[in-house]
Amino acid sequence: MEILKVTDLKKTYTSRLGGAQVQALKGVTFTVEQGEYVAIMGESGSGKTTLLNILAALDKPTSGSVELEGKCLDALKEDKLAVWRRENLGFVFQEFNLLDTFSLKDNILLPLVLGRTDVRELERRLEPVAASLGITDILNKYPYEVSGGQKQRAAAARALITEPKLLLADEPTGALDSQSSAELLRVFSQINRNGQTILMVTHSTDAASHANRVLFIRDGVIFHQLYRGDSTNEELYKKISDTLTMLRTGGDRG
Amino acid sequence: MKHGFYSRIAMENIQKNRRLYIPRILAEAGLLGCFYILLTLAMDARLSEALGGAYLSAFMSFGAVVIGLLSFILILYVNSFLMKRRKSEYGLYNVLGMEKRHVVKLLFTESLITSLLSIALGLLLGVLFYKASSLLICRLMRSGIVAGFYYLNAVTLLIPAGIFLALDLFAFLINSITILRMKPVELMAGKHAGEKEPRIRWLLLIIGLLTLGSGYAYALTVKSPLAALVGFFAAVILVIIGTYCLFVTGTTFVLKCLKRNKGYYYNCRHMPAVAGLLFRMKQNAVGLASIAILATGVLVMISTTVSLYSGVQDTVNTNYPQQLYLSANQTEDDTVTSIPSSSLTEIVESAAEEYGLQIEHIEAEKMLTVSYLTRGDALLTKTEVTGGWSPEELTGAIFITENTYTQLKGQTYFTTDARHLDLGKDEIAFCRIMSTVRNLGEAPETLTIHGKEYRVKEMISYFPVSINMGTLVDVVGIVVADEDALEEIYLAQKAAYGAYASEYMDRIGVIFADEEAVSAVAAAFTRTVIDKLRASYPGALSYSLDTKWEALHNVLDMYGTFLFLGILLGLVCLFSTILIIYYKQISEGYEDRERFQIMEKIGMEAQEVKKAIGSQMALQFFLPLATAAVHTAAAFPILLKLLKILMLTNTQLFVSCTLITLAVFALVYTAVYLLTARTYYNIVH
Repeated sequence: MEILKVTDLKKTYTSRLGGAQVQALKGVTFTVEQGEYVAIMGESGSGKTTLLNILAALDKPTSGSVELEGKCLDALKEDKLAVWRRENLGFVFQEFNLLDTFSLKDNILLPLVLGRTDVRELERRLEPVAASLGITDILNKYPYEVSGGQKQRAAAARALITEPKLLLADEPTGALDSQSSAELLRVFSQINRNGQTILMVTHSTDAASHANRVLFIRDGVIFHQLYRGDSTNEELYKKISDTLTMLRTGGDRG
Repeated sequence: MKHGFYSRIAMENIQKNRRLYIPRILAEAGLLGCFYILLTLAMDARLSEALGGAYLSAFMSFGAVVIGLLSFILILYVNSFLMKRRKSEYGLYNVLGMEKRHVVKLLFTESLITSLLSIALGLLLGVLFYKASSLLICRLMRSGIVAGFYYLNAVTLLIPAGIFLALDLFAFLINSITILRMKPVELMAGKHAGEKEPRIRWLLLIIGLLTLGSGYAYALTVKSPLAALVGFFAAVILVIIGTYCLFVTGTTFVLKCLKRNKGYYYNCRHMPAVAGLLFRMKQNAVGLASIAILATGVLVMISTTVSLYSGVQDTVNTNYPQQLYLSANQTEDDTVTSIPSSSLTEIVESAAEEYGLQIEHIEAEKMLTVSYLTRGDALLTKTEVTGGWSPEELTGAIFITENTYTQLKGQTYFTTDARHLDLGKDEIAFCRIMSTVRNLGEAPETLTIHGKEYRVKEMISYFPVSINMGTLVDVVGIVVADEDALEEIYLAQKAAYGAYASEYMDRIGVIFADEEAVSAVAAAFTRTVIDKLRASYPGALSYSLDTKWEALHNVLDMYGTFLFLGILLGLVCLFSTILIIYYKQISEGYEDRERFQIMEKIGMEAQEVKKAIGSQMALQFFLPLATAAVHTAAAFPILLKLLKILMLTNTQLFVSCTLITLAVFALVYTAVYLLTARTYYNIVH
């Protein structure tokens, strides 16, 4: 089943000085199936952050449409966006974006509290998520007391606790050391196997090699895509590397 | 590097950070202006000459010292905020290749510019508002001066300028030490320096509860004005300590309790507010406690001084049923004889005739005033008491005969109760003239004086003789049957006190037909009376001339000074409060900005963000206001007793003054809240 459908998405920015037009997205089209794990790769300035912002309804496209489970984002009213985001999406950011005033537990529970969930329900939902991310023991600690990897797992727990239709991750391993990265990616693969749809933006080949499908974006268009097929992570890693080299040397799609 | 470079960068920096600098400059200028005004009022010879105020100079100097201290605290407080916000900027300069001494030089240039701007502005404000202030104080003292003064003097300009320059220099030194001692990385990270959630400090909590509790208990239970006077400042200090302790730990305690209450805490309205407040309580508590204390200061100062001042006429009227009292003694060959009231009356009448003043009534009053200690229903002389005694037991008693009483009451002026007392030999009538301690029972059946028991035949509510004995101790009025009974008491106290015994007082009380007319020629008239007295009795003469207008003048002088000081210090406290609130809001706005942005990303609706901000701010804002109101309420009984010392007994007046002050203050406070809330919201959003 198609969960996300992006059709001919365009985004044009007008720079403040001189009014020059910058086209960040020049017509992006792709779909994501239920239960898929998709990585979007691209260099800085390729338009991947713009794409993610539009998917998250943090920004509006100039033209084109985004549909989540057949419902068009354009149809949503401005004041309902926050609720929609909370109910449908989970976010994992590069910089964790945990609130230092809350313990990890409260950080994780925050989206549920915002959704006015009953107190008893909170605990019930927290337990399995915390267990699957291996942070049960540190729930009462504060963000400044734990490592980067632990913070990111807490952030993932916060994203997952609402049981979102789509988990959006923006460079989730960007601020982590290699060991923490590997651990987080293993967790992502695991939750994907449990049926969670994930869309991850990254420029780390290692991170992308854990996905089922990799989309390459360059100069505002989807340039190429790779399917995992039966490849192992290592094989996919090799394929991604080759593709990136090809992209860098400026070759055309072969 | 050329000097112009620094001043250019410094100017740019100040302009860029004007949100932080403008209030600082205005605050320093305001404080300096007030300091200047008080100092000049204290030093302006023409003013004290015109008003003849003995209190003015002393109280204004006192006020200047208070403002000086307050300025010291406030400027350092504001400075710490400024520094916290700008640390990272200085760190950046350092990282970009400026040596630390260059950064310090830049800091110096900035400090110098702000300091000079503040001082110049402050002096300008001071000079401009001095005339208005001197006029206000003349008006308050009803001196008839309508112009006010201009006063320019190098000394009063240089002292404030020097003091505030030194203050700014001190702040600069602190800042430069901070910069010199820190590593650039730390400087850059200054803003984000992590704070931990505070722990409950039980010891502080207990100390806070004890100090606040004992301060409150003292204020609420103190019996006599004398004890109130002695203990007031101790109680104030206890309450201040208690407030700080409880704000530091008590708030943490309450917030933690709220947090533990899951039903309350896990609510989208409460969770960000409680966690945000708790997280910041360590740095916040002191600021909030300061606001609470300053606010209490405003409330107490303004309400007491306003009610004192507006009660002036009242006070004087109760203390002076007649407008002039005269008594005189002549000493010949070591014997003191009092000059008979008939000749005193003649003298006053002839003087009044000279000035064309019409006398409505002259009354001769023979009375005896003795001081006693009260134990149970007995008035004891100090010789009858063995062991120690407390000043609260002191009671002054005024004795008159029934004859005098009836005569005085018979006058139209006093007709409140026309009954005859018809006192028997061992009977008295008893009146509480001033009962602040209430030593004797509510309505004693008998009263033992000099070992003799008298039956109290009647309690009377108004005693026709007034004598200004101050109001620290209880004063009772006692009417005895006749001259013999009075003589008996006279002899008994003479035997007990010996050389310190009281003498009879033969005095006359005068009521003029036209009070206004007398006050117009008051000084000359009293001089004439004394001259005539001296002419009639050329020997060794001692006299007491007590007039209502002189009393009014003295009281106005004192209370006018109080009121002026109360208003000025009240305003300064108010502006300090506003300043602290402003800086708190700004600095917290910057800190909270990131937090609320994250919450929005996670899916908090803008409306919810606004509400969460609102509830967090309301809690922070109204906690100090509520504390100030409670403090003021607790201070009410002790203030009432202190006001009694200053002869204000009109509780109603004080209650309404306090309530009005509270209402006005709450209004201003809320206005400030709304304004700064907007600034805060703009920063956060």
